[in-house]
Amino acid sequence: MLAAAGIVATLVASGFSIPLWLWLAYAVVAIAYSVAMPVYRYRVHRWESTDTAVYTQRGWLTRERRIAPMSRVQTVDLDQNLLDRMFTLANVTVTTASAAGPVRIDGLDRAVAERLVEELTRRTEEEPGDAT
Amino acid sequence: MSEDAVTSELEHDAAWRRLDMRMLLVHPVNEVVRFLPLLIGLFLFGASDHSDPWHYLGVALPIAIGLLRFASTSFRITGSQIELRRGIIGRSVLTAPLDRVRTVELTAKPIHRLLRLSRVEIGTGSAATSGEGRLVLDSLGAGEARRLREDLLHRAPLPSPGDPVAASGVPAPPESVILRLDPAWVRYAPLTTSGLVIALAALAGASQFLGNLVRAALDASSLDEDVRALPLAVSLPLGVVLFAIVISVLAICGYLLTNWGFMLSRDEAAQTFHVRRGLLTTRETSIDTGRLRGVEIHEPLGLRLAGGGRLTAIVTGFKRRGNDSKTPMVPAAPRAVVAAVGDAVLAENGPLHTALIQHGPIARRRRYVRAVIPTTLIPVLLAVLATTASWPWWLAGVGLLAPALGVLLARDRYARLGHALTTDYVVMRWGSLHGRRDALQRTGIIGWNIKQTFFQRRAGVVSLTATTAAGQQSYEMLDVPEGMAVAFAIEAVPGLVEQFATRLSNAPQSADPALKCT
Repeated sequence: MLAAAGIVATLVASGFSIPLWLWLAYAVVAIAYSVAMPVYRYRVHRWESTDTAVYTQRGWLTRERRIAPMSRVQTVDLDQNLLDRMFTLANVTVTTASAAGPVRIDGLDRAVAERLVEELTRRTEEEPGDAT
Repeated sequence: MSEDAVTSELEHDAAWRRLDMRMLLVHPVNEVVRFLPLLIGLFLFGASDHSDPWHYLGVALPIAIGLLRFASTSFRITGSQIELRRGIIGRSVLTAPLDRVRTVELTAKPIHRLLRLSRVEIGTGSAATSGEGRLVLDSLGAGEARRLREDLLHRAPLPSPGDPVAASGVPAPPESVILRLDPAWVRYAPLTTSGLVIALAALAGASQFLGNLVRAALDASSLDEDVRALPLAVSLPLGVVLFAIVISVLAICGYLLTNWGFMLSRDEAAQTFHVRRGLLTTRETSIDTGRLRGVEIHEPLGLRLAGGGRLTAIVTGFKRRGNDSKTPMVPAAPRAVVAAVGDAVLAENGPLHTALIQHGPIARRRRYVRAVIPTTLIPVLLAVLATTASWPWWLAGVGLLAPALGVLLARDRYARLGHALTTDYVVMRWGSLHGRRDALQRTGIIGWNIKQTFFQRRAGVVSLTATTAAGQQSYEMLDVPEGMAVAFAIEAVPGLVEQFATRLSNAPQSADPALKCT
């Protein structure tokens, strides 16, 4: 949504030098994107945490599903930016010892996110070893 | 850990140890080399008045820096950790638990070797890949460095604090040599990508330096006119051959410089692999067997056609950027040697020999589409230019070679694409120009990523990536049919993916209107 607003804003700013029809076409695409993409993402994005693993499904054009076993989890982060805080949302990032990318869950309800972090932390502590 | 254990280990406190005194000679020389342009400038342009004391600052400063570094760096090994203290103004203490030590590397540049010193770098698998975060001791006496390495890798507590620095007469532990360099292998050097890169870099560096010299020499002789007198049909192939010879010679020199005296051995007592190599700068890398997660066979096209390959280890705690990040086990060598060493290192014959499962017709179609469509654009573009901008038509004809090569590339890429599962390893083979065969320990897999681009989703294939804390961090299997990928992940690491199996096969269909439409 922010990206689309940004695109529209830059278009308005530079809109004087491009023809009106292009401006309109771009605006239509941008608005369609800002409406359709989040809805589509919301339908695609999934997450689940079991006793032994975390699972996420993300993306819209390119879709990625990630599974990380609880025994290999190294850190669990919870973060909120200003907008998230306005809507009482939070994002959870679970990292393993691999640099191949963390497992990230965006836009959880703050309470749900906190419960999840607590649960993940507890389960990871139970696992022995140095997680490599 | 109980309270008692903590205090006893604190009592075990070893005294702080310093770097070897002889490093005082290394650092000033290094610093002087670094300050060399400045020094030359000082003495050349300031030569008129010798009385100016500022000139000597240029010499004194590097020596002072070396002295300060010596005075401010100390380290010690307590019962369970190694601590490194350094810094003149901002002091820092780096601490690492001994059981996190994965690799130890001893490097000796020519000047170190002259003084019988070694630079010790300790890999702990921390995220710090460069600069201040690394545990580097520059430098210790060669004997002391070896002893330190033994201590670190055996994980036995040090016998006596502050043991004497002298004497390098520690009896070498029993080692079985797996591989020694055969000088005949230099014939593979020009075929490796790294060899070519080294050669081109050397050539580029030298061309600036030698350019003027060559020009001066040409002006003085009549060679230039002789060359110009030759017809193009002669001078062009001649130039190409000359270039190839120069590149090959440089690549061979590079190969010998880095790999001279290459020896791979296994130390049974310490459970480590040792790799020794280098002509001028010697490098000794020790890899804890317990941290070895597999091997990669690198087969770039040229090397593969000549029947050769390279072997590198997949090790945790060895994440450095660039070319250094690879831990070589076999330099460019015949395929049979590479496979034999690979078997010895993995202690399993399967991974490097087993027949692979191919990825099926969709993967094949995608290889062809991706190789042929972009290459077809070349002759098409040239044909368009021939009609509109009156470019010669034969150029478009030559351009037809591109899609032809594309077809060959696609065929090779598909033929090589495959995966397999052995008792302990996941095996993947892929790539043509930079061909690889990776064998990754199944217990080293710490997660799965299943990725689908828009087109992959329509085709019903996925890129399955095994993530790991070692080597390249992720190992990808390209364009595997969805069901096959899930089944493979379930079988490779039991107890992880099963619980999501229904989601993995059902979720995409139900949530994907695009797939329903087609």
